[in-house]
Amino acid sequence: MPFISKIERQTDYTQFDSTVPIVIDNGGSYFRIGWAGEDEPRVIFRNIVQRPRHKTTGETVTVVSDHNPALLRYFDCTRSGPRSAFDGNVVYQFEIMEYILDFGFDRLGADQSQIDHPVLITECACNPIQSRCRMAELLFESYGVPSIAAFGVDAAFSYKYNQQLGICNSDGLAICSGFMTSHAIPFINGEPAYEACCRTNVGGYHVTDYLKQLLSLKYPHHISKLTWEKVEDLKMEHCYIAPDYTSEVRIFKKGAKEAEEKTRCWQLPWTPAPVEEQPSEEELARKAALKERQGQRLREMAEAKRSSRINELENDIRGLEFLLKQLKQVEENNVPAFLRETGYASKQEIESNLAKAIQSLRKAKGEQVETEEKMDASTADKYNLVNVPDDVLTPEQLKEKRKQLFLKSTTEARQRAKQKRIEEELEREKQMKLEEEKRLENPERYLEDLRAKYRELSEKVEQRKRLKTNGNNTNGNQNGSGGVGRGERLNAAQRERMRLLTTAAFDRGKGEDTFGIKDEDWQLYKLMSRDDDEEDEKSNEDEADLARVSSRLREIDPTFFPKAESGSSTAEPPRFRPLTKEDFQLILGVERFRCPEVLFQPNLIGIDQSGLDEMAGVSIRRLPCKNQGLEEKITKSILMTGGSCQYPGMAERLEAGIRMIRPCGTPITVVRASDPSLDAWRGASVYAAAMQFPNQTFSRTDYYEKGEDWLRRYQFNYTL
Amino acid sequence: MEAEVVEAEIVLPTHLNFKRVQMYEKYPKGQARGRHWKHLKQIIQAENYQNYPPDEPNYVNIESPPPMHPCKRICDITGFEAPYFDPRTKLRYANAEVFKVIRSLPNDYVQRYLALRNAAVVLK
Repeated sequence: MPFISKIERQTDYTQFDSTVPIVIDNGGSYFRIGWAGEDEPRVIFRNIVQRPRHKTTGETVTVVSDHNPALLRYFDCTRSGPRSAFDGNVVYQFEIMEYILDFGFDRLGADQSQIDHPVLITECACNPIQSRCRMAELLFESYGVPSIAAFGVDAAFSYKYNQQLGICNSDGLAICSGFMTSHAIPFINGEPAYEACCRTNVGGYHVTDYLKQLLSLKYPHHISKLTWEKVEDLKMEHCYIAPDYTSEVRIFKKGAKEAEEKTRCWQLPWTPAPVEEQPSEEELARKAALKERQGQRLREMAEAKRSSRINELENDIRGLEFLLKQLKQVEENNVPAFLRETGYASKQEIESNLAKAIQSLRKAKGEQVETEEKMDASTADKYNLVNVPDDVLTPEQLKEKRKQLFLKSTTEARQRAKQKRIEEELEREKQMKLEEEKRLENPERYLEDLRAKYRELSEKVEQRKRLKTNGNNTNGNQNGSGGVGRGERLNAAQRERMRLLTTAAFDRGKGEDTFGIKDEDWQLYKLMSRDDDEEDEKSNEDEADLARVSSRLREIDPTFFPKAESGSSTAEPPRFRPLTKEDFQLILGVERFRCPEVLFQPNLIGIDQSGLDEMAGVSIRRLPCKNQGLEEKITKSILMTGGSCQYPGMAERLEAGIRMIRPCGTPITVVRASDPSLDAWRGASVYAAAMQFPNQTFSRTDYYEKGEDWLRRYQFNYTL
Repeated sequence: MEAEVVEAEIVLPTHLNFKRVQMYEKYPKGQARGRHWKHLKQIIQAENYQNYPPDEPNYVNIESPPPMHPCKRICDITGFEAPYFDPRTKLRYANAEVFKVIRSLPNDYVQRYLALRNAAVVLK
């Protein structure tokens, strides 16, 4: 079950009198705070802080505990991941600790000038003094707490609480598995024996991390769905501890039906691609009719445009003819004046305009255009000056002549180009016809030839591309070191270029560099640059051929697929099959019990320490006073507590493990705490509510007088 | 600040009544904030546990020793028992099919599998 934080602001702060202590369980995963004597902590939240920047205002704000990601979209969270105040199970970042305490007290309802209640806060076993001092300082200085009790170990509180409930006895062993660490602490007469305590640095965090990594490696394309919170949920729901890892794994290896049952499958949301159904007959007919109608409409529009243009042109022609007639009637001297009125420069202009209009009219009407005739007819007058020798002409006429020469040459060139084009067309048509004939007479062989040609061409093209890109790639990479390196001139052009450069440099010999004295030397560069162009041209031709051949093949060969253009030969072939439902399923089989196995075998993730079952043995071994009776008493009451001990099957596994290391026949009972996560807080709450609690606290004055050394020796007395 | 963000109160207010020294006074904006916190290793070093009698429990001597049991070798990919070891990639594998998969993995996946076991080559 995913854990939901309780962070509502409490309103009854003022109802509590100053002697009521505030109890804080400062855990690696969750922070719990509440009033002494109560059954449940008032405020519970994850012990992490984020400091994102607001996207629009740019200010950096502090967000404690994880929140609704929808609200966090206003903030830029890329540079600020969630940070914890803990390193292992020790608080070291007191700035973050302060934010968390702020938030905790704020949600508890505090609003007066200082926190006026004694505070009981938990710490880890054998906390380094510095951390303890700093915490005391923080509470005294920033919050004005009158007295702190201390510092108790959360596992001890849990044990005491369960002892009161009768679940375990006054002599026993607490195995507490937390977020980053796990402890095994023996209790003698109700007090923890720290000399025999044992700690391994694996906890719930490592299990979740292991699961997350395994799933990401197995399903890399779903990596975005595997967030930390989601994986934690998966772990809490599906992970269990196998009574014996080897035998469990063998079941899965065999692939028996039992294994099938134990495998869980997580289906991600997935929508199948919409299947296009074949359009029915009616659909097709309707579409065809629609197309027909559209074509009709277009044709009508074109027709209308054409007729309007014809009308226009006819009007123009009529106008111009009228002008010409008028011109003929007008006398010689009045011609320029008349012309100026109409706006045309000379009679020729009018005539040429008229001719043009008639020509366009004829084109519009769809008749043949007699360009050739017109050309011939006008060449005579246009180029009348060309054949006349130079000395006879005036300077203006010379200019005219030059213009006409130029015009003539351009028109002739145009004609020649057209001719060539027509010839090429004919040529191509002839070739197509030949090919068709060839195909018709022997289709199979033709197909084979074509395929072979395709393969050849594609190989050539690819090779050239590979050479080019290889050369370019190495060029690009080596740009920092200046130019191409020594062994990477794979391209023939580059090799040639280098050869030219080096020979040019040493051509004259005799140790002197005489390159450049003669003019021919500089032709070298022309040679070098032309190398590259030639390559390009050849490659273009090949590619054009390739395109032609592949299109031909596609037309006639039903089984041909053009080879996908792959830049590198190591790319995966593209997936043609559509994605199915199975692609979006994550299967948890062996991972279900492989991950929690880390608690018992930290070797699996490379941590070279004992697992939980061995820790119990180590702890008993380390006991200062050894007598048989005590050890038996201890093994008779083994308590599992801590958030990370809630896996199904853990108790049996622990029992089996401890049985292996204890002498034969010892009575072993392993029990789980009534509420592994909250028991520590509850124990602390009960403790703080007791009458003798104020004896265990120390005040600010004490701290300042006696100093750090005294704090080091400060030990908590759990039995009151 | 948008309305819904203010309503939801996810942001920690800058001024709190019950504090004697506010955060912005304690950590003024210009200075480097987190760099002066000692990490656990440094804290333990500074503790000088060797000056105190070794019988007393302290953070270091309550650590658990390496295990007595022989370490179980499981396949890095599937989790089955793995009697075999690939010298090239240094991964453990259970049978020939897994071996094929291992040999076809790109190098960064190999390093990630090794990192799970804390056996990856770390270049600093």
